[in-house]
Amino acid sequence: MNALNPYCPDLATVQEVIQETHNIRTLRIRLNDEEKMQDFSFRPGQVGQLSVFGVGESTFVINSPPTRKDYLQFSVMRVGEVTKRIHELNAGDPIGVRAPLGNGFAYEEMKGRDILFIGGGIGMAPLRTLLLHMIDNRTDYGDITVIYGARSPQDLCYTYEFDEWRAGGVNLVLTVDAEFPGWTGRVGFVPTVLKEESPAPDNRIAITCGPPIMIKFVLFGLKELGYEDHQVLTTLEKRMKCGVGICGRCNLGPKYVCLDGPVFSLDQLGKMVPEL
Amino acid sequence: MTNTDIKQLCGLLHEQVQAALPELETVIGWTQGYDLLHTTPVFVRDANSISKLIWNPFCSQNLTGYLVKTPAVQATDKAKKIGVCVKGCDSRSLVALIQEKFVSRDSLYILGFPCHGVIDWHRVMLKVPATGIQAATVEDGQLILEHNGGLQRLELADVLARKCLRCVYPNPVIHDTLIGKVATPLVTVENAYRDVEGLEQQSLAERLDFWRSELDRCMRCYACRNACPLCVCQERCIAETREPKWLTQYMSISEKYLFHFIHALHLAGRCTECGECERVCPMEIPVTLMKEELSKIIRELLGYEAGVNLEAVPPLLTFSPDETSI
Amino acid sequence: MTGKVYIAQPDLEKVLSKLAGNMDVWVPAAPANGKWGVEFMPYHSGLAPILNRRSSLPPKKVLLPQMEALLRFEYQKDPQDPSKVTLRLDDPTADSLTSRPVLVFGARPCDTRGFLTLDRTFTNGPYVDAYYRKRRENTFFATLVCGEADSACFCSSVGSGPADMEGSDLRLIPVEDGYVLETLTERAAFILDSLESLALPPTEIQEAAAKQINDEISSQPASGFPPGTVEAFRGRFENLGYWQEAVEQCLSCGVCTYVCPTCYCFTITDEMKNLEGARLRSWDSCMFSHYTSEASGHNPRPTKLERYRNRVGHKFSYIPTNYDGMIGCCGCGRCIRLCPVSIDIRKVVQGLKEETCECA
Repeated sequence: MNALNPYCPDLATVQEVIQETHNIRTLRIRLNDEEKMQDFSFRPGQVGQLSVFGVGESTFVINSPPTRKDYLQFSVMRVGEVTKRIHELNAGDPIGVRAPLGNGFAYEEMKGRDILFIGGGIGMAPLRTLLLHMIDNRTDYGDITVIYGARSPQDLCYTYEFDEWRAGGVNLVLTVDAEFPGWTGRVGFVPTVLKEESPAPDNRIAITCGPPIMIKFVLFGLKELGYEDHQVLTTLEKRMKCGVGICGRCNLGPKYVCLDGPVFSLDQLGKMVPEL
Repeated sequence: MTNTDIKQLCGLLHEQVQAALPELETVIGWTQGYDLLHTTPVFVRDANSISKLIWNPFCSQNLTGYLVKTPAVQATDKAKKIGVCVKGCDSRSLVALIQEKFVSRDSLYILGFPCHGVIDWHRVMLKVPATGIQAATVEDGQLILEHNGGLQRLELADVLARKCLRCVYPNPVIHDTLIGKVATPLVTVENAYRDVEGLEQQSLAERLDFWRSELDRCMRCYACRNACPLCVCQERCIAETREPKWLTQYMSISEKYLFHFIHALHLAGRCTECGECERVCPMEIPVTLMKEELSKIIRELLGYEAGVNLEAVPPLLTFSPDETSI
Repeated sequence: MTGKVYIAQPDLEKVLSKLAGNMDVWVPAAPANGKWGVEFMPYHSGLAPILNRRSSLPPKKVLLPQMEALLRFEYQKDPQDPSKVTLRLDDPTADSLTSRPVLVFGARPCDTRGFLTLDRTFTNGPYVDAYYRKRRENTFFATLVCGEADSACFCSSVGSGPADMEGSDLRLIPVEDGYVLETLTERAAFILDSLESLALPPTEIQEAAAKQINDEISSQPASGFPPGTVEAFRGRFENLGYWQEAVEQCLSCGVCTYVCPTCYCFTITDEMKNLEGARLRSWDSCMFSHYTSEASGHNPRPTKLERYRNRVGHKFSYIPTNYDGMIGCCGCGRCIRLCPVSIDIRKVVQGLKEETCECA
């Protein structure tokens, strides 16, 4: 972040792009200012505003963990004006970034616990940050289970990393919504698979992110399994502009998703105005 | 129109609504606003609320927009109708909305009010202090105000809305019931375009100067657009779309020209000159003038007046191979 | 240090001209022939200030211009290798040039009070808006003690009042045939000093008259909203019938937000032509339908009901929650006066604790 002017992005350059799916593209960037890049620190779950100058800015979670700082990674789904232009960027192109913003995950409080990640589609992006951070600090955490699903095998992100996750001590459960030729893995909606896997709530934190309909049923499922509100975390999406709690747009009652979020626990959300 | 007349007409209004209420789901009318010079729209759904409805020279709002703007006031019970109170000018908006099939005639119960003009609050404020108005009545061509400074009489011609001084249709052109005696129009349609004719007589440079100084004060708040009953693009308005992008956020005069002229052109041949756009403008820009100019041209070229004949099709919304004038 | 001066009505423009020699002076004046509305505009010789009635627009644009360029940028192509593109970014806040001080002369307490909310949002949060702060540090307020409440005014109900000088640097009291202008803050001492020979101290009679007027106006009773409005709002949030009644007349036009001294929501958009462009900050409105619409197509505030509810909540519940109980409304009544359908926010807020909203 630019300490003197929070609206002014740091200039960065795209190092590498990975086309994850037909509409999700991962960018790996480095700040142009080498010293700033070295000093850059953030918490898993914090976000950044990526600038395509001339088109606009959009908020994305910093997809890579603080333990792996060769680059800052952002996974972007193409849905509108800015993301369309981001999808046209390649290695060597200039880009702006204002980061880190937001609150991030309180991973310190998760130490010694079992962790359950439940992701759908692009929802795996914020989960990946925390997941890799935990893999890199493996002994701090107990069982790590990931239930990750997408509409089809072609809609799964980070497929090239799954083996690494398993090797890092992660119980990875993949699923797709329907049968597909060539897919020999699990078939079923994420909430259904959650029910089937039935991970016990004792000493466990559940973190979920994905399409709203998936989250809705996952939350039902977690409640049925006995998870209490303070054990369940999610990240909220809201239209953002300034990202620094000034422009007023992303408010949920008196809280700003860009400042007090985007990570919220279910019991925090329960106390807020229902305006999701 | 005296206080007694008003009382009588309000009584008539309440009676009519009471009688019609079983067939109506909602009646859209005017009720007392935050002070004597203002009314506010009211949505009456039960007999107890009927007494809220009023009719007086301060009933300035055009209520027809509520029938079409999201969320449109429509009867959920298809057997019932929506009642709507209209002055002469408002009734023309209704005709236009029915012509363009935004609302069906059968779904409406139209309460028409022959109108002697509505008061423009800004023009009153130019003449009286804003504080302590205790009474406001219209009598014998004057607005009589009682305020902290005493009694003050203002000539109606000085305080009526500009649109009222050029009103050709004071009596509703469409109605199910008429409340009040038929009013005499102040002008004929041939003389209704004096204001724009005055502008036409100026040089182009003078006219540009006029519009530049007026529109420079525009804040692009889009109140004019939202208040217009015929402006139905709503969430797809070109003023706000980014893909494709028509207007930038630069607050330059060219952006303001672009918005206003496109808005006026979208209304060409449709605008019924209800004057809401001008009334709601917080900067008092006479934006109806632009639409009046276009209406004048449509009248001269195609012999058409918007919102008067329910059977007519607005000429710019159809293609007539027999069209001879253009 | 000159603490107090008397300005005779015929000398007002002379005094303003003298001040305008060293500062940018903004005064309320009539914008064009025949218009009622008074607006704040930069003072220039010959401009007659209008101080006996409230302005249509608050002086908000002095500190938060309707549009400003936050950044300018230019894509630069390497002539040897056109596919290689770099970016030049200009940040105007890095420019340390100081501008002339700005004096807002003749605002009323309800105008100045708006900046108390804006100051906290723009300069007292975890991130500071450098653009606003630079202007704010250089802006001074000579606030008029107000004797002209009308039917839409309610400053006394929101913790303020017609003689409230919180946030002001000078107090301007209209007396017979003129004004008494008094310095209230250290930082503003230079202003009256700069008047030099025009700085005539008030006579005893003039001072006494000014004091009397100020005392009379200050002693008008405050008629606050019922306590517990913050909680009442939260309790009422899901009562859709209540909000439906409150908002049924609303046109979602946004005028209330544009004329409100405490409304500050803005959008940030990029505008570019060829290879050059700017990132603009411009006024937005929470009443506009696309304000919260997300890229996925979902909109948490899809109708005017949710949007108006948020507006009331923001001013009467969320801002007080975040800023030690300070109400995010200055009671100026502009939203009531300029609303095309005369929605009265006082009724909506008062009704929060009642059973139904007597809104219409």
